[in-house]
Amino acid sequence: MGDVRGIASRGLARSFGAVHAVVGMDFDAQAGQVTALVGPNGAGKTTLLLMLASLLAPDAGTIRIDGFDPAVDRDDVRRRVGWMPDTLGVWESLTAREILVQVGRFYRLGGQEAAKRAGELLDLVHLGDFAHQPARVLSRGQQQRLSLARALIHRPTTLLLDEPASGLDPASRVELRGTLRRVAADGCTVVVSSHILSELDEIADAVVFVSGGRTVRSQVVDAPPGGRRYALEALDLGSARALLGELGVEFGDEDGRRPRLSFVVATDDDAARLLRELVTGGVAVTAFAPAGGVIEETYLGLGADER
Amino acid sequence: MSGVHEVLEPGAAPSPRRPRSVGERATAVRAWVRGAWDVVVLEAKQRLRSRGWYIMLAIWFALIAIVTWLTWAAWEAQHAVSRRYADYTPAGPLPSAGPGSMIFEAVLAFVMFFALVVSPALSANAVNGDRAQGTLAILQASLLRPGQILAGKLVAAWFAALAFLVAASPFLIIGVAAGGLSPGYIAVSLLMLAVELGVVSAIGTALSALAGRPLFSIVVTYLVVAMLCIGTLIAFGFGVALSRGTVEANSPSYATLSHPAVPGPSFAPSTGPSLAPSPGYSSNLKVTPAPMQGPPSYTCVGSLIDQPAVHTERVAWILSMNPFLVVADAIPYPDRSESSVPYPQGAIETMSQGARAAIAGPEATTPCANGKPKPAYLVQRTPLWPLGLGLQLLLAGGLLWGARQALVTPARRLARGTRVA
Repeated sequence: MGDVRGIASRGLARSFGAVHAVVGMDFDAQAGQVTALVGPNGAGKTTLLLMLASLLAPDAGTIRIDGFDPAVDRDDVRRRVGWMPDTLGVWESLTAREILVQVGRFYRLGGQEAAKRAGELLDLVHLGDFAHQPARVLSRGQQQRLSLARALIHRPTTLLLDEPASGLDPASRVELRGTLRRVAADGCTVVVSSHILSELDEIADAVVFVSGGRTVRSQVVDAPPGGRRYALEALDLGSARALLGELGVEFGDEDGRRPRLSFVVATDDDAARLLRELVTGGVAVTAFAPAGGVIEETYLGLGADER
Repeated sequence: MSGVHEVLEPGAAPSPRRPRSVGERATAVRAWVRGAWDVVVLEAKQRLRSRGWYIMLAIWFALIAIVTWLTWAAWEAQHAVSRRYADYTPAGPLPSAGPGSMIFEAVLAFVMFFALVVSPALSANAVNGDRAQGTLAILQASLLRPGQILAGKLVAAWFAALAFLVAASPFLIIGVAAGGLSPGYIAVSLLMLAVELGVVSAIGTALSALAGRPLFSIVVTYLVVAMLCIGTLIAFGFGVALSRGTVEANSPSYATLSHPAVPGPSFAPSTGPSLAPSPGYSSNLKVTPAPMQGPPSYTCVGSLIDQPAVHTERVAWILSMNPFLVVADAIPYPDRSESSVPYPQGAIETMSQGARAAIAGPEATTPCANGKPKPAYLVQRTPLWPLGLGLQLLLAGGLLWGARQALVTPARRLARGTRVA
């Protein structure tokens, strides 16, 4: 079934009574990539993920997961989808290992297979030491990791994560990043919803922006349209201003803790060339880097926040 | 997207949900049961590890022990009085069934009452409690079917309630042993109690899937239990008042009989059954009426006329849903019409006989209905409990069906104020 991997959905709509949670969403995610789902609170991210996880039926639109329709081939979809809800959902009296084995049985894994898989996953999310602790004593971050392991128990081809990083400490976030990249490298379609944009920059290959129940924009992270904003710090900003003027670069002064100049660079090559010219032109550069995350820039540029 | 189905493996092409052969069907059933059992295991692990459950069991055990002891002490005190009294009466001590039947009946009634109080609490948050915890959606997103989730939770709640029955069983066994009752007696009563707890657990579990919040479903389950226990009596009472009619009968005559002092018909339920058995155990201590063996002690004379009667048989089905009655009626007892004391012995028999008289109606209980004398002891072999249990199962089944619909995913409609996750 290698030809139709990934998620393809068109024209999704879903309302709850008078509340139109999702009005018109197109959402695609490629296998082997991490796709970020970005939007303000109430944009319909969770509703979209519930529809993809075959828990909610859309009022309109089509969903295909690896080519399967959740409304028709429910079991085929469920065998392929691992879902981690934002509510985590752990059985408090059960140990971490028992939860994994038990959920494995709900996916019809054999007893031995479930036990083996549980062991692997506990190692993957670094909960081996807590395998025999009741889930109630785990910290929020640990429960989050356990929830991720639970979503992976049946070797899904599609992983849907609803706010997986919320409540995690910085070290755990870095670890989560690594785990998700590894899962994607194995060919899995990974979807991550979040509103922590700097987070997503590091892991997402593609971003889908949603707002007010609609898809606002879909893009690949590596190719930001219209170039990226860079910030420059130097020992002597005056000489930097002069040189930038000579080179014909439009720049502005950034307000911040330290004075810096910012300008838009079209491509990575342009950025490298500009830096070389600044250095050879005698500017004592102390910092030269993208001013913000790609996703953050796009997001703010969209004015998607409807407050 | 029309090409989607072509990519299915050839083996998966026929829908796996409709197995053709008997063998495939059996395999599918076994797989279904295994999945439901996995839910039971999960639930049981959750429950068995909560300390509150053990505390409740301990309180329960102590409570039943106290009730058993009090019943025994009360009987002992009564018996001491009647023994002392008996020394001065020529008749001698009364023949008594001993304390057994009384202790057994009292303990059985208490166990059943408390079990009906406990089991809604054990079942009526099974589904919506999980929804609040966020664990229900994880089950729903797996390969489990809604029916498996519901069945697993129902069985787990039932098992939890049965644990209370098991804790109470030593006292029931004491009651049976002390009274010299047969082991079959306790087997039937425990079985029927277990079935009734299953009905309440089913109602509770179903309501917990239908209601958004545990508090609501628990209260509604209690109301349903109260409706079955007390509401059926009240409804039957009103129903009786509304079922007045007539029955063709003539008049009894005692003129030719050798025992004119004992008017037979006054013992027969004439206007309807004696429903509320006055605290049953007292029947053991009642002064035994003059023996009336064999056929009725009167003859029917005169022409048949329409006499006012209450058609209890029209509303007896309401009464039959009472859980206490279902248990009492299911416990077997001998036909006492040939006995020297042709009256029901103890509360359980009295309830059963009363209810059977109600379902038999005035045709069978009015003296000289249709010109035939009626025996003092109604021989009604058709039991009432299958009707009652059937109605209870119908109620529980209907609720479970609705609950299953509420758990179907992908969900089209959600109950107001609930989230999938």
